[in-house]
Amino acid sequence: MKIAVLLKQVPDTTAKIAVSGDRVDHASVAKWSTSPYDEYALEYALQLKEAGAGDLVAITCGPDRAAKMLTDAAAVGVDSMLHVVADTAEMDSKQIQSILVAAINHCEADVILCGKQAADTNSGSTGPGIASLMGAACVGMVSEVTVEGDGFSALRASSVGNERVSVSRPCLFAFDKASTELRRPNVKGIMMAKRKVIETVSTDDLGINLEESQVNIVSHDSPPEKPPGQKFEGADSVRTVVLKLREEANVI
Amino acid sequence: MEITIIAEASGKGLHPVTEQLVGAASSLGGVITVLCPGGVGSNDASEISGVSKVISLQGDCFSSFDSGSWSAVMAPLSQGMVMASSSPSGRELGAQIASKIGAPIVQDITGIEPGYKVTRSVYSGKAVETSSLTTPCVVTLRQNAFEGASGGGSAEVVVVDNSTEVSVAVKEAIAKAGERMDVSDAEIIISGGRGMGEPSNFSHLNEVADVIGAAVGASRAAVDTWDEIPHSMQVGQTGKTVNPTLYIAVGISGAIQHLAGMRSSKYIVAINKDPDAPIFGVADYGIVATWEEALPALKEELGKLS
Amino acid sequence: MPFEALDFYDVDSLLTEEERMVRDMVRDFVDNDVLPEIEHACRDGVFPDQWRVTLGEMGILGAPLKGYGCPGLSYAAYGVICRELERGDSGLRSFASVQGSLAMYPIWDFGSEEQKNYYLPKMASGEWIGCFGLTEPDYGSNPGDMITRAEDMGDHYVLNGAKMWITNGSIAQLAVVWAKLDGVIRGFIVEKDDEGFSAPEMKGKHSLKASVTSELVFQDCKIPKDRMLPGVKGLRGPFSCLNNARYGISWGAVGAAQACFDSAREYSLSRIQFEHPIASYQLVQNKLSWMLREITKAQLLAYHLSQKKDSGNWIPEHISLAKMNNVDIALEIARVARDIHGANGILDEYPVMRHMANLESVKTYEGTHDIHNLILGRHITGIQAFTREI
Repeated sequence: MKIAVLLKQVPDTTAKIAVSGDRVDHASVAKWSTSPYDEYALEYALQLKEAGAGDLVAITCGPDRAAKMLTDAAAVGVDSMLHVVADTAEMDSKQIQSILVAAINHCEADVILCGKQAADTNSGSTGPGIASLMGAACVGMVSEVTVEGDGFSALRASSVGNERVSVSRPCLFAFDKASTELRRPNVKGIMMAKRKVIETVSTDDLGINLEESQVNIVSHDSPPEKPPGQKFEGADSVRTVVLKLREEANVI
Repeated sequence: MEITIIAEASGKGLHPVTEQLVGAASSLGGVITVLCPGGVGSNDASEISGVSKVISLQGDCFSSFDSGSWSAVMAPLSQGMVMASSSPSGRELGAQIASKIGAPIVQDITGIEPGYKVTRSVYSGKAVETSSLTTPCVVTLRQNAFEGASGGGSAEVVVVDNSTEVSVAVKEAIAKAGERMDVSDAEIIISGGRGMGEPSNFSHLNEVADVIGAAVGASRAAVDTWDEIPHSMQVGQTGKTVNPTLYIAVGISGAIQHLAGMRSSKYIVAINKDPDAPIFGVADYGIVATWEEALPALKEELGKLS
Repeated sequence: MPFEALDFYDVDSLLTEEERMVRDMVRDFVDNDVLPEIEHACRDGVFPDQWRVTLGEMGILGAPLKGYGCPGLSYAAYGVICRELERGDSGLRSFASVQGSLAMYPIWDFGSEEQKNYYLPKMASGEWIGCFGLTEPDYGSNPGDMITRAEDMGDHYVLNGAKMWITNGSIAQLAVVWAKLDGVIRGFIVEKDDEGFSAPEMKGKHSLKASVTSELVFQDCKIPKDRMLPGVKGLRGPFSCLNNARYGISWGAVGAAQACFDSAREYSLSRIQFEHPIASYQLVQNKLSWMLREITKAQLLAYHLSQKKDSGNWIPEHISLAKMNNVDIALEIARVARDIHGANGILDEYPVMRHMANLESVKTYEGTHDIHNLILGRHITGIQAFTREI
């Protein structure tokens, strides 16, 4: 029985993003990290492994630098790691999902955990898309998963707050921020991580026919400059400001 | 050109974003069909100007949210471009539909032009991405980024009952504990300083926070002066560093230690009776007023927004 | 916001991947667990017990020791651990230095198999805290003339005397105490509940406030025979321990300096005076540039020393150089950083004055600045200048 956790390496959320030419300049990114929601997926994946739900493989599709993220996952206890070497920056949702489905099948996992959306694309398509392709039950907005009999019980967001749902394998859980503590590595884990070998493959190795991307990025641009600060007198201006927050700033 | 819109529900009615989806679809010129899961809001949907047809989807699988079964019902009914709201459920459903119809999906767009060119925010708002795509495709739209269509329409409502098996069984609803969100996680924060006068006045901040789902923070001065204001609320040099989409500073002068904690907020609103308060130097929108006058107005105006 | 340490010459790229993972683990601990609490710990004058627990869980206590449940890391990793801890607070790093280099190390190197098997695993896990009893009220720089003595009473030893300035003393389950038995310095393991032993806390410190500093008092303190460390006699015992701790401190000081530099730089960019950030003024840039130079030099010294330690190719004087230099510049950097912060620098909103006060102790303990200076002087000339006949 195998559990897979999908991890994506993204620019650290505190890192400055520069646009060069018409693309975000990855070479200038000072720090790369595991996408934050994926960290919750990893923590719960480890908890499920500890509860006997199966061996745990960490999977990523990314360039060479993503290997470090898998080693860090090894240091907190994943059993094995699969690195599909490919740069997803220009890929569309279909291509990315086909790669990850092939990777998951290669690992023979039938329980998949992932973050609800990656911190770079901010999309949220990968989890549910993969679930559909694999015919797996899909639970999104998850904040907790536990083993329940042969299946699982999960807590997901709902319009009133949360709801508890039950699913059986095959299943996929897409994580939101959870209240659990994220375990930290320790020296023992770090030393064991050295001994775990990452299985590194290409998309060809997995037999994937990528096809062309059907979504073509025309350009990346820096967000428009904010207008200079505006100052208003008196509580009557509250209405004006609120409307500006909606219409000018688009923040509410 | 066909455009299929997945209606977004709000309680037993239609969420306003549905009108915005129709508005966006209309701007592209297209024959618009609206799918209403569980039939929720189908009559309202039929009255949106620009809608050609409403399909009321009936069946047991629509009694609770299950993107697998819902998308299985919706996929065969989805023609051309599929549009949904970029709410959490809209994204999940849109992605499942996209997989089933073999189309790519672009999420949370803030602009769309014929051709089709879409724009959206990426890297947590640090860049804007413009892409081109053709149909079939699925796009989810950000709320309040598009003009809503008006009323006065009269489309036919067709009932379809193709319910399929549900794979996610809902066992128990758990209402939110009413705990206020922590400042570290919040997209919107409203903070009070010593200018609030008394710790009990933070209740006014709580009321505004409740209207817009914000977290409530405090300056160090407030935390140090009043035991009732806990350290966990403190934003600043020795408190939490936050970068919400919107930070509203009330009765906070804007000392360097506080700015260190919130300066990278996307938008800053300052409410302070002192026109020379340093906080106005970093505010995008500054309101020179007492909190006593400004907060009730803020609560009211925010409440008017849908 | 995660800390970005100044590393102008990219010295950390010379570390192994494992050493960098250890660095990141400790750095995250300091960011998430230590910094939010440190100013309160300092104000209250306590060492939060949860930190002991977490240090144990991370598995970094006694970092370079191998076997007996100890981490078995490289000296470079040990240095990195000290640097990252001290970036948080020197008192935190002192806890780890004492535990690993001064309490675990002597048992590891000079203890019997039974002692190693009994004490080391408990100390590596953080379950038991250790401390090091060498310094006395009247014998600091001159430990050789210590007056704490042990007497062999046949089936036990009796210790009499007092030690002072002992980090961890009041919270420790055991103390490695150096005392003269028939005029020869030997190491003894004293446990908390041994008859005639007490460890009152020393209060009223302006420095290392988040660390516990104690006296160890022995009044006819009886300890079983199996508590003496069999493997060493004379000052070589305590000095071996001190060498290890001093090595860690040479890295630790870099961490404190980095913290002060980081705060000064941030502050100077935010603080507007005469309509410009003070970072735009030449006198401020001069100070920041000087800090960057000294930190870079200190990093290279510490790193190269780690490689000498790991290859076994070192002498104590190498460590004296690094400890002396790095702590000295760290203290100066803290002072200049405080200056850059202006009046704000005296508040515990900013870490600089806490580091500044701490570093006064770090400059004094583990061999004062002047003593290390003379150690080098003796090495250069062959002539000791610690004392003369009067």
